[in-house]
Amino acid sequence: MKRTTCLSVLALTLLGQSALAQTTIKINGYAGQDPAIVGDLINRFVKPALAKDKITVTYEPLQGDYNQQLTTQLASGTAGDVFYLPAETLDTYVATGKILPLNGLVNTSPFIKTLNTTFTRNGRLYAISKDFNTLTLVYNKDLFDEAKVAYPDNNDTWTSLQTKLAGVKKALGNDYYGICLAPDYARMGQLAFSAGWKAFDAKGKTNLLDPNFQSAFNFFTGLAKDKVGIQPSEISQDWSGGCLKTGKVAVAIEGNWIVGFLKDNAPNLKYGTALMPKNDKTGKRGNFLYTVGWAINANTKNKNAALKVLNLLTSPQVQQYVLEQGLAIPSRSALSNNAFFKKTDAGAQNSAAVFQGASDGTVYGYAFGPKGPDWAKPINTALAAVLSGQMSAADALKKAQADMNTLQSR
Amino acid sequence: MHRKGQSATAYLFLAPFLITIVVFFFYAFARAVYYSFTDYNLFNTPHLIGFKPYFDVLGDSLFRRALANTLVFAITVTILQTVGSLLMAVALNNKIKGQAFFRSAWYMPSITSSVVITLIFLWLFQRRGVANYLITQWQAYQPLILTFLGVLIAAQVVQVMFERARRLPAGWFDPALAAASALVALAVTAGLAVLGVLHPRAVQPFDFQYFSDTWVHIGNVRLLSMPLLVVIVMNTFTTIPTLMLFFLAGLQNIPGTLYEAADIDGATPVQKLLGVTVPMLRPVTFYVLTVSLIGTMQMFDQVAVIGSAAPQETLITMAYYVYTNTFKSGAAPVNMASAAAILLALIILLMVYLQRRFFVAPEAV
Repeated sequence: MKRTTCLSVLALTLLGQSALAQTTIKINGYAGQDPAIVGDLINRFVKPALAKDKITVTYEPLQGDYNQQLTTQLASGTAGDVFYLPAETLDTYVATGKILPLNGLVNTSPFIKTLNTTFTRNGRLYAISKDFNTLTLVYNKDLFDEAKVAYPDNNDTWTSLQTKLAGVKKALGNDYYGICLAPDYARMGQLAFSAGWKAFDAKGKTNLLDPNFQSAFNFFTGLAKDKVGIQPSEISQDWSGGCLKTGKVAVAIEGNWIVGFLKDNAPNLKYGTALMPKNDKTGKRGNFLYTVGWAINANTKNKNAALKVLNLLTSPQVQQYVLEQGLAIPSRSALSNNAFFKKTDAGAQNSAAVFQGASDGTVYGYAFGPKGPDWAKPINTALAAVLSGQMSAADALKKAQADMNTLQSR
Repeated sequence: MHRKGQSATAYLFLAPFLITIVVFFFYAFARAVYYSFTDYNLFNTPHLIGFKPYFDVLGDSLFRRALANTLVFAITVTILQTVGSLLMAVALNNKIKGQAFFRSAWYMPSITSSVVITLIFLWLFQRRGVANYLITQWQAYQPLILTFLGVLIAAQVVQVMFERARRLPAGWFDPALAAASALVALAVTAGLAVLGVLHPRAVQPFDFQYFSDTWVHIGNVRLLSMPLLVVIVMNTFTTIPTLMLFFLAGLQNIPGTLYEAADIDGATPVQKLLGVTVPMLRPVTFYVLTVSLIGTMQMFDQVAVIGSAAPQETLITMAYYVYTNTFKSGAAPVNMASAAAILLALIILLMVYLQRRFFVAPEAV
């Protein structure tokens, strides 16, 4: 009898204490527009749902270089409970041991499979994709009409696309170009995927002399022949979107971010979107997933609260809202039937193509592996050297492979 | 003289400075040395692995590029700075009107923030920046400018010959005659321009890209990149004034009697500079060279500000290499960064040692 009273008193005091305690979950993410967007999501969806659990949520943007800032905060133990984790630098963060594996803690089945794969290493899933982007062929309809060449479409192969681009150049002459070629792995690697190349073999080594990679490299740099394709810098632009804006370039390989850019900078430009071309031999497309995930700090003191916040931020309601506001393309596979993708305006059609690109053909995340951003440098240097005519493709690839070996043997 | 308790008081007063030095220099340096022999990556427990990080660094082509860039930069800038600041100090040491104004005006670049100056230079040397604009103008107006110069020289020669024929002493650079020649040249050029004989050429805008992957080669070796050349110009421009102050202070200490003696012997200004000023300034020159070398070997800020505006290989310096290898994303090769930092320190030590050994300044008499 006495003991029960004691216990009940104890239980009551514990309950009282926990009722008084406020848990604060800190989120780290990008600066720029994100504080406004995520702040809005938190106020609309997260706070109301967690009010009864006495959990509050704050968003702390990291100014400047996000990766650098997050690294120093993780190293000093001041990072948030939940934070953005860019897929391209995932491996370098996994190596820190500071990211909590989410297997068995979060239901991953509603999310697009390739996105889960992008955040998985050695069977452990480290983040849930927040939203994503893939590459599409964005083309200027007027230039194709004027050149009397058929638009790029979803049945195009490398060869047929090359023929179309050369046709546009031939019909329109010196001041016009078929395509903008950014000397960047991020705009060329997807072609290597479609040819069957893998960025890392079983031992984690990269082979740039693989015939599949070479064929993609040669196709991409070969487009520069006869000025059918040019680098953005040759017409004083810094990216392919800028090329398209000038109205002198027929095609750009870009993702959904180009839609807002064109709306603001070239509102009268009539553009269409096609999927990436298929490789002639494999018959498959290739694509990159550019994605940022929600990850949880392995050292968080409030694991359960952090998981609740993560589940709310990736919930169907939040993703529906993000999609309809045109903020980003969220990661749940159920969204493919969303009315938003059925709209006929150019922007929504591009979004639909980006969404479709995530599950069509050979798709891998845009990731650098355990050596971080330095990994892509040899490839980018080779692309720049060949596109500007300083080196032959064979020599450039030899040098790139030598640099790659040096980097990966450290 | 030395009473008990005095040294304790002295140390007490020195404490703030000493503690800072011990924590932020000796402790940090010891840690860097330790990490350079381990497999430390910011997040793991360091294990000693011997000299491997040093071999990794030496085998890294980017490090070799950084070392070459740093040495080229340090040697070029040191020479330019020392010569430039000495000449500037000599020029400013004369008794001229408005001396104070010139001194402050020439000191301006040194007190401006280097980040701001770098941004301004980035803007000057853009593809459609001021530098390219001026070159375009020069190409366009070349006929007019060359005509003006040609007539100026011809008129000057004629006038001096005429004066000398009249047995009057006239130097080739006589200012009064030069003014007359300039007026004649201006009139001739303007006249020809009005008549339509001369007109600016229509030239394509000069479109040189300063921050691109272009190099000055010697044989097959990449010696100096264009972006680095821009930084060299900028760095020289901003540091000459500071070093000039040291020379000015040194010039004040040269006894005037030496110059008087040189005057009596009939020395020209150039002879006075080389025979009196330069030897008497040797201690100052030694100091300036040392400071300048150490400063340029550690150059970082300009490269960091230009950042991705230029290809990394063209600009990377030792200090920037250390920085990029430490602050990446997630686990980073901090052991390599530490090894590179230690190598940089050793190189600077060796340089200063060699300088002291072979160029040691006998104290000026």
